[in-house]
Amino acid sequence: MAWQKQILRVNLTTGSCNIEPLNMEWAESYLGSRGLGSKYLYEEMDPAADALSAENKIIFATGPLTGTMASTGGRYTVVTKGALTGAIACSNSGGKFGAELKMAGYDLLIIEGVSEKPVYLHIEDDKVELCDAGEIWGKTVWETEDLLAQKYRDPLMRFAGIGQAGESLCRFACVVNDKHRAAGRSGVGAVMGSKNLKTIAVRGTIGVRAKDPKAFYKIVNEVNARMTDRDEMARDGTIAMVDVTNGFGSLPTNNNRSVRFEGANKLNAEAMHSPNENGHTNIVTNGACFGCTIGCGRICKIDPTHFSVKDRPEYHGASGGLEYETAYALGSACGVDDIDAATFAGFLCNEYGMDPISLGGTIAAAMELYDIGAIDDSTTGGIKLEFGSAQALCQIAELTGKGEGFGADIAMGSKRLCEKYGHPDLSMSVKGQEFAAYDGRSMQGMGLAYATSNRGACHLRADPYGHDFETTEIEGKAKIVAESQRDVAFLDSSGLCLFPGGCGWGLEDYRTLVDAACESDWNEARMAETGERIWVLEKLFNLKAGLSKKDDTLPKRILEEPADVGAGKGLVCRLDEMLPEYYQINGWDAEGVPTEETLKRLNLN
Amino acid sequence: MDISVTLFGGLRHFLPAGSSFNKCTIKIDDESRLEALLEQLPIPAEKKYIVIINDEKVSREDYADITINSDDTIVLLPPIKGG
Repeated sequence: MAWQKQILRVNLTTGSCNIEPLNMEWAESYLGSRGLGSKYLYEEMDPAADALSAENKIIFATGPLTGTMASTGGRYTVVTKGALTGAIACSNSGGKFGAELKMAGYDLLIIEGVSEKPVYLHIEDDKVELCDAGEIWGKTVWETEDLLAQKYRDPLMRFAGIGQAGESLCRFACVVNDKHRAAGRSGVGAVMGSKNLKTIAVRGTIGVRAKDPKAFYKIVNEVNARMTDRDEMARDGTIAMVDVTNGFGSLPTNNNRSVRFEGANKLNAEAMHSPNENGHTNIVTNGACFGCTIGCGRICKIDPTHFSVKDRPEYHGASGGLEYETAYALGSACGVDDIDAATFAGFLCNEYGMDPISLGGTIAAAMELYDIGAIDDSTTGGIKLEFGSAQALCQIAELTGKGEGFGADIAMGSKRLCEKYGHPDLSMSVKGQEFAAYDGRSMQGMGLAYATSNRGACHLRADPYGHDFETTEIEGKAKIVAESQRDVAFLDSSGLCLFPGGCGWGLEDYRTLVDAACESDWNEARMAETGERIWVLEKLFNLKAGLSKKDDTLPKRILEEPADVGAGKGLVCRLDEMLPEYYQINGWDAEGVPTEETLKRLNLN
Repeated sequence: MDISVTLFGGLRHFLPAGSSFNKCTIKIDDESRLEALLEQLPIPAEKKYIVIINDEKVSREDYADITINSDDTIVLLPPIKGG
């Protein structure tokens, strides 16, 4: 149990909605969510197909623990071929949508084909219908949710959909659920937009049953008692990391020209908690996803006198505020130290449905193009796109959301943008996906993790943090990255969040929960093998999609320009030394292709 | 002499009473070593952190050898993760 043992398949070309049994053999081998969704995608589509074509599928996948009483059991994953990367995309989100989809009776929702006209999907348990989206197409995520909530008048109905960015095929459009949680990365929203699917409205009343409810309840309480460090995360959220990386010298600044930001103290936890000169405090409270006992979310308000919202009362309310990644992308990456401007740009991301990491990373690249004269005011429509300009950040973010003016160029993502203007090296990305908030020179393990991440640069595909903060020497990092990639693949497939791992839980806590909830024996060896199988399956998808060793790399800046300050001062990322060892540890050949022996061991041949 | 120490992230829970948001002042003897300063902070032994002095990371094995100067900027960082 814990699986619902059925999937919902919606074909947008034919308009059919069918309930099918879950392939339990695959569930036993790939667990759920990221792993199981990837397996279905791998088996059902040609990885070489264009991400925005009808051949691509988009899968909303819950895990066996999604919707259970396990802490943080609200996660789901959107699996598809990424519009930004051309690689496999598995974009994870919290909020309440995933649990609602699971409680409607589905482990997976598979969307295929393309609708002739805009539609939305309405699910209430086994009642499923495609509805005309004429009235909501062109609306923001927030407007769409409000209109449909008014129509159905069910306060427990949950929504996951796209804004105008997804409709206009912005390469880093995301799927936003519950207004400010998002399956953010890799352009999954553009895939949804290419299918003319505006949103999914779901209400579930079936519930989720664990294998042995009493035993599961006991273990839930036991592991919750071990979550000892959650108060810190609830109070400061992930934005506490700003001071850590800035102090260490790994906070990417001005498109990674530097690794330390002078204005960091205006974007950190203290700044968020402290009243400004007008007596306005950015943070209102913290927020939690379904079943979460941590509550790391930031619920914030913009100073109503700030230039970005001065005459726009619709932005004066509280909504999803800056997390560490957004503080970096919409702050230090662009050299902007204005917490209200960054919060406003973050609101726009949620409203229009854009990944703030890629938006900020692309604006930062554009700022460098502007700085070196590769683009000018005639390109930007008169916007002075200078590093540090809060005004430019806000203007460009809004134009990008609407797909207007120079925003249409930004919507291509930094790789395509920098290629267009003749400086491909200025895109701080891997496989076309912009860096997260860690520099791969002072954090060598993170550099390797970025380069080898199956979905493009990502800070949540491996766990090199502890070792990276201890040493910049590369010995041991390949093993840490390889092994933690497998661990994270398993955890992501459970339906739980990764953050309990930073609040006191170990791998064993996740494993015992899976074992108590799901049929058959989920021991340590099986957990490791399942994680590795998922990681290698994603790799196989990418190989079939045409990616190769040449894509397991980093921008020239990280490989050739030494970090300017901090723990990594004078260092470049020694990727060329770590990568061969990483391939070897994984049982892959020198070109990064899994060997027959490895495939056989994982039942992937 | 008085030394200002900044504790980031969750470490600031362990600041002595009367400290500001994330800073405290520690009184130590002249010529004191880093190890002696750290012992004055009420941080539980099981809490891991790294030490940055004047923007440079300090190795754990050097704590007993490093002499603190009155104008040193000392920062303690917890090895948190995620984003």
